[in-house]
Amino acid sequence: MTMAVPGSERFSSRPIDPATLAGQLPENLPVHTVTQEQVDAVDPLTYEVIRHRLWSVTEEMGEALKRMSGSPIVTDANDFDFAVSDELGQEVQVGLYNTMLVGAVDLAIYWTLQHRATNPGIAEGDMFLTNDPWVGGGLHQNDAMVYQPVFWEGKLFGWTSAIAHQPDLGGVGLGSFSPAAQDVFSESLPTPPIKVVRDGLLQDDVADVWVRRSRVPMMIGLDLRAKVGANTVGRDRLLAVIEQYGADTVKAVMKRMMADAESRLRGKLTTLPDGTWRATGYQDQSHTGDRELHKITVAMTKADDHITFDFTGTDPQSGVVNCTYAGMRGGVMLALLPILAGDIPWSAGGLMRCFDLVSEEGTINNASFPAAVGRGPIGPAWLTGNLVAECLSQMLDQAPTLDAHVQATCCGTWDTAVIAGLDQRGAVPTPFLSIIMDPMAGGYGAQPQADGMDTGGLFCIPLGRVPDVEMTEFLYPVLALWRREEPDSGGPGRRRGGVGASLAITPHGTSFPIGLVLASNGKAVSQNNGLAGGYPGNTGVEWIARGGDVNQLLGAGRMPTELADVGGTAELQPCYGETYVAPGEVFTMFWQGGGGYGDPLVRDPEDVARDVREEKVTASTAEQAYGVVVDASGTVDTAATEARRAALRDGRRARAASDGDRSTVDLTGSRRLDDNLVAVGDQVACRHCATLLGSGAVGELDLVRYEGPVSDAGPQVVDGAGEYVDREVHFRQYCCPGCFTAVSTAVVPVDHVDDVTRTSRVLADARR
Amino acid sequence: MAYVIGVDVGGTFTDAVLDDDSGSVIAAKAPSTPPDYSRGVLDVLEQLAEQLGRSVEEMLADTHHVAHGTTSSLNALVTRQVPDVGFLTTKGHRDSIFIMNVEGRYLGRSPHELQHVLAQDKDHHLLGKRHALEVTERVDRDGNVIVALDEDEVRRQVEALRADGIRAIAVSLLWAFRNPVHERRVREIVHEIDPEVYVALSSEVSPRIREFARHSTTIMSTQVGPGLRDYLTNLEASLKQRGMTGPLLVMQSNGGAVAASEAPAQAISTVGSVLTGGVVGSGQLGRRLGHRNIISTDVGGTTFLVGLIVDGEPERDTTTVINHHPINVPTLKVHAIGSGGGAIAWVDPGGNLRIGPHSAQAVPGPACYDQGGTEPTNTDANLVLGILPASGLLGGRKALDVDKAREAIRTRIAEPLGLSVEDAAAAIHAAQNAQTGDLLRKSVVEAGHDPREFVLYAFGGSGPAFCAKYATHLGVSEVVVPLGPVASAFSAYGLAASDIALAGELSDPAQLPVDPVRAEKNFAQLSDQVRQGLDRQGLKFDRVEIVREVDMRYAMQLAEVTVGVGDGPLDENAMNDAAQRFEQKYADLYGQGSGFSAAGIQAITYRVRGRGVLPFSPELPPLGAADGEPPVSSRRPVYLEIGQGFVDTPIYDYTALRAGHVVTGPAVIEVPTTTVVVPDGRTGTVDDLGNLHITHTQQTGA
Repeated sequence: MTMAVPGSERFSSRPIDPATLAGQLPENLPVHTVTQEQVDAVDPLTYEVIRHRLWSVTEEMGEALKRMSGSPIVTDANDFDFAVSDELGQEVQVGLYNTMLVGAVDLAIYWTLQHRATNPGIAEGDMFLTNDPWVGGGLHQNDAMVYQPVFWEGKLFGWTSAIAHQPDLGGVGLGSFSPAAQDVFSESLPTPPIKVVRDGLLQDDVADVWVRRSRVPMMIGLDLRAKVGANTVGRDRLLAVIEQYGADTVKAVMKRMMADAESRLRGKLTTLPDGTWRATGYQDQSHTGDRELHKITVAMTKADDHITFDFTGTDPQSGVVNCTYAGMRGGVMLALLPILAGDIPWSAGGLMRCFDLVSEEGTINNASFPAAVGRGPIGPAWLTGNLVAECLSQMLDQAPTLDAHVQATCCGTWDTAVIAGLDQRGAVPTPFLSIIMDPMAGGYGAQPQADGMDTGGLFCIPLGRVPDVEMTEFLYPVLALWRREEPDSGGPGRRRGGVGASLAITPHGTSFPIGLVLASNGKAVSQNNGLAGGYPGNTGVEWIARGGDVNQLLGAGRMPTELADVGGTAELQPCYGETYVAPGEVFTMFWQGGGGYGDPLVRDPEDVARDVREEKVTASTAEQAYGVVVDASGTVDTAATEARRAALRDGRRARAASDGDRSTVDLTGSRRLDDNLVAVGDQVACRHCATLLGSGAVGELDLVRYEGPVSDAGPQVVDGAGEYVDREVHFRQYCCPGCFTAVSTAVVPVDHVDDVTRTSRVLADARR
Repeated sequence: MAYVIGVDVGGTFTDAVLDDDSGSVIAAKAPSTPPDYSRGVLDVLEQLAEQLGRSVEEMLADTHHVAHGTTSSLNALVTRQVPDVGFLTTKGHRDSIFIMNVEGRYLGRSPHELQHVLAQDKDHHLLGKRHALEVTERVDRDGNVIVALDEDEVRRQVEALRADGIRAIAVSLLWAFRNPVHERRVREIVHEIDPEVYVALSSEVSPRIREFARHSTTIMSTQVGPGLRDYLTNLEASLKQRGMTGPLLVMQSNGGAVAASEAPAQAISTVGSVLTGGVVGSGQLGRRLGHRNIISTDVGGTTFLVGLIVDGEPERDTTTVINHHPINVPTLKVHAIGSGGGAIAWVDPGGNLRIGPHSAQAVPGPACYDQGGTEPTNTDANLVLGILPASGLLGGRKALDVDKAREAIRTRIAEPLGLSVEDAAAAIHAAQNAQTGDLLRKSVVEAGHDPREFVLYAFGGSGPAFCAKYATHLGVSEVVVPLGPVASAFSAYGLAASDIALAGELSDPAQLPVDPVRAEKNFAQLSDQVRQGLDRQGLKFDRVEIVREVDMRYAMQLAEVTVGVGDGPLDENAMNDAAQRFEQKYADLYGQGSGFSAAGIQAITYRVRGRGVLPFSPELPPLGAADGEPPVSSRRPVYLEIGQGFVDTPIYDYTALRAGHVVTGPAVIEVPTTTVVVPDGRTGTVDDLGNLHITHTQQTGA
């Protein structure tokens, strides 16, 4: 790892108390604010009218950005976001696109207020540009934010901002992604806030500096203008609202929106059990050639109306799998917004007051300069979000009235494939560079009352989408042999995880190999974990049929449906690599589905049969994982199913080193803890067979632990950790010693410390 | 004597309007009769005949044509009461309709639902995988056949579908719009096996790039095609049996009609017909009143529909969303922005007043309907405020229970907010107006227009009570409430006044400069197709108008904008002119400088729209002139302005008003089918057709 760089600390932005920040501002920057009395005085009608209008303002900004942008990442996959903030940068209203960005926007505005107010000054008609993930605004350098101060009668009234992922901003790797980077100096240059618009005029010198670094300068120039345009729309509409209702009233509503979101989230937290929940996950390989696992661990403590996320124990920064503080905070938001605030307006400034982050600097999700952070959002920030989601779901699972928000882990990463080459289909050959956007169709985790959404998208981009295959083929010289949902890719469970999908492409319309930069993880250790005994979803895998000649096959009237049909040598791709796919060769991507919820052996056989008919699950997995025997017509064979399920349970019993009989308890008046566990007074018992598993808020639950080969998890999980890392990985399952229903199922490194059996995990709340 | 009859079959009521060529207009209303909607049509025709004092046979014998808008196809899709159909697509790509580009999870959901990610689902597939089958074949983006069609496999797949009882098959292959040879061959094979099976090809139904929308469009068209064919065949036979000699026409989403015999092949083009009638009616009335820019607002009990007419032409769209699927159908742009009079007011957990998006629907309806509804709606608020008469709607035929309304507002809104019932009702009314104003503004502004340059038309049962207020929020200075004899059936009036409209389109994406010969060839093919289509209608037109359009975009920007292409010979200049219009329109829509011309411009989809103008223009009958001041029928306290409370307000009976009458606000005008509010500071003037124009009262200087 590169040595720390003295002087770089100045660029590390952190949340700051608004009063402190206001007190630091110079006199030449008067700000508009309102008193608490003015906030309290807003009547419900005015509040609703202006709140609705502010929502409409952010919507229009998003539409404007999308329509002006030239990047398919924005226009066809919706990887962007935008916000309206108050005078101190607190986010009043955010968009529903990439929600990780919500955790970064305000940090950049705080920093700007602290470091730009005096020199060069913050003035009416200015817009700033930044892509420095330590400052904030985005999670890696490809996230570029343009934001502007909005003034009213000479006072700073608020801020609008627009961020979008840029396809390439320079650095040694295609798409600014360098899988072998030692530090940030191999990546795109982080640019701290710089005035890109002065007096309403886009500064050509600054814009040129910006686009000059990119391999696709035209697209970067266009996206810069799109973000400037979106901010202009935001300011015009915001000023119109102020003109109509008065600055004080609008500001009072903005403050109250945040206070309202905060108090509603606090109110919801108060109704939930207090306690501490833990989750630990891994990045396998940190850069090209690495063979290590890198851990993020979190302990979430909820007390009364507040949450603390403590990441102490997370591994030191390494390779390219790092994110800055903004990434850690963005990761928290990607989980917190939909899980806890699905029914609360996303006035993020208020919501973010309800939690604290505890973390050691220099770790993979709180990396210090000059760590490489290119993989930040899709690696460590994403994992942070998934672990936070796992903690929140454990907590919420105990509160049945809110169980609509419990969810096993979704698709655990974004399988990146940057493609670049020469399009020779037109009269003039044209170079191209883009990211394959299809992995946006990941699977969602299962919920207690619903299966995970099949190819539902990415949890961190609620309004994401994948492009049509025809649009991809129109833009780039490739032919998609298939794009399909993959049966069995959803984690088995009482509720099944949503399936993921796969894509196969071959060069078409170019005589040159297409360059590929690959980055993904979750290949050695599962990232799409199940919950409450549900199994993990599939492992993501990428292959190239090296030396194959698919064109001969196509010419002979055959369309391959498996890599093996293509010929050549099947070459498994690493998590991080730079390679190519030549004409005639085929590149396949198979990205992750979601984890399952509850033990698959208690899934309704009719649901399994429907899954077989709808090709979400193969007949073989129906039998192996669910113990459900389905005949050729798709009908459940009830007798065979009962026998099969009994045999599977017997198998679990036989492999256990379990001793002696357990006592049972009367479940009358019991309270749900999760899909398998109930509390009777201060005792924990199995909901299915009433076996007593523990008591009191201390000690361990009496569960039977089994460790076996990864293949025990089912065919969806690739038993090939040795291909990627040196650490040994295994299947681990905890079952009730009475009925052998699975309480926890995971694929983890052998030294993984889990938290399944801690009694206080499920019985922490002494108040009940 | 010749009549034209417009029949609008809605979910609840079937409305009809009859015009003749001597300036008289009559309207009638009958309950709709699902599942066989044709009975309701015959019922309403009998009512018309009764009003004429003639038999149905005599009336139909003198009828030039019947123009028919129906919600049945749309209802069938929305409620999924459609027969199983088969789907054949390119090997490797069947799952396009299951992956739904991911967007199928959230398309068509309200902002409230969009944010609630964990409550969403993708369980609205068009069909099961068992009936979605693949065939080996492949065409590339330039139309080259890369993999030949495996005809034996096609036969096996068709047999498998037939064995499952499938009688209709949608065929949608990748890039078929560039080269339909495989799709056509598949249809031949299907018909070799069984000529009775209904087959729709994507290259005919929707020859447009982006396969997910093309697949969905073709499948939905297949789902409603056979049903529409059966319904129309049956209805046309019944009408002919009763003496109809002219044709039966069916309204389409594009605002024009098509002969009943031609509709089933392009069934999807008719699904939006009931939504567009109001916009077409506004356009017709606008021509008569000299309004070129109109915001058309149709507010019913459960829906709030907005359409725009700009410079005399309805705004069009090329895509719509049905059941969370994008559907390619040339349509008049109609936004559904809210839930109308039935929108429920509620207090959220933060103690804030919210309106909608949930609606009390037709059942149970507003609390004051006393049908079991306990949640307060806009209609309940209006009743408490005295805007609606305590004696009930429809001239007292629909009773209203003010106590139920008060109770709902008291328990759900007033007490939680610490307001009086009246103030709570006034807050609901005002919040609804402001919210509607925002949504309208968004619709108008996002389409690139300034609301201040528009006149707002308000109709439907619930609109006129709000329109002057939401128009104020929007910055519109003149509001027209279309009344007169067609007040209750404005959409049916629009149908009766419509012409025949057909459209053909074809994607042929290419970078400019496009060889004019290539563009001309596309247009020539589409024009032939549209002209032949018009010929098949079996109608005599006064004239035929052909409009050529192309959807363009900047090479690097994906937003496509439709621009017209002139009539003359298509040379380089004509294409350059089109490109210039594109640049101008793009700047109008998205802001000056938002386009990136350095990247070049691409032509994507060519379209030809043909209109067969019917030799018949209905005239609205004039209203008698006013003689003196408008008669006040009664007075009652009405609460219109927050802070003013109840004000003793004059109530006017619309049936007693005459052309030239001026009503100064605050006032309430009771029409048999609706209630119009003229707020303080506004003046309502009755025109010589009976419409009410609401403008700022002059002396207040507003």
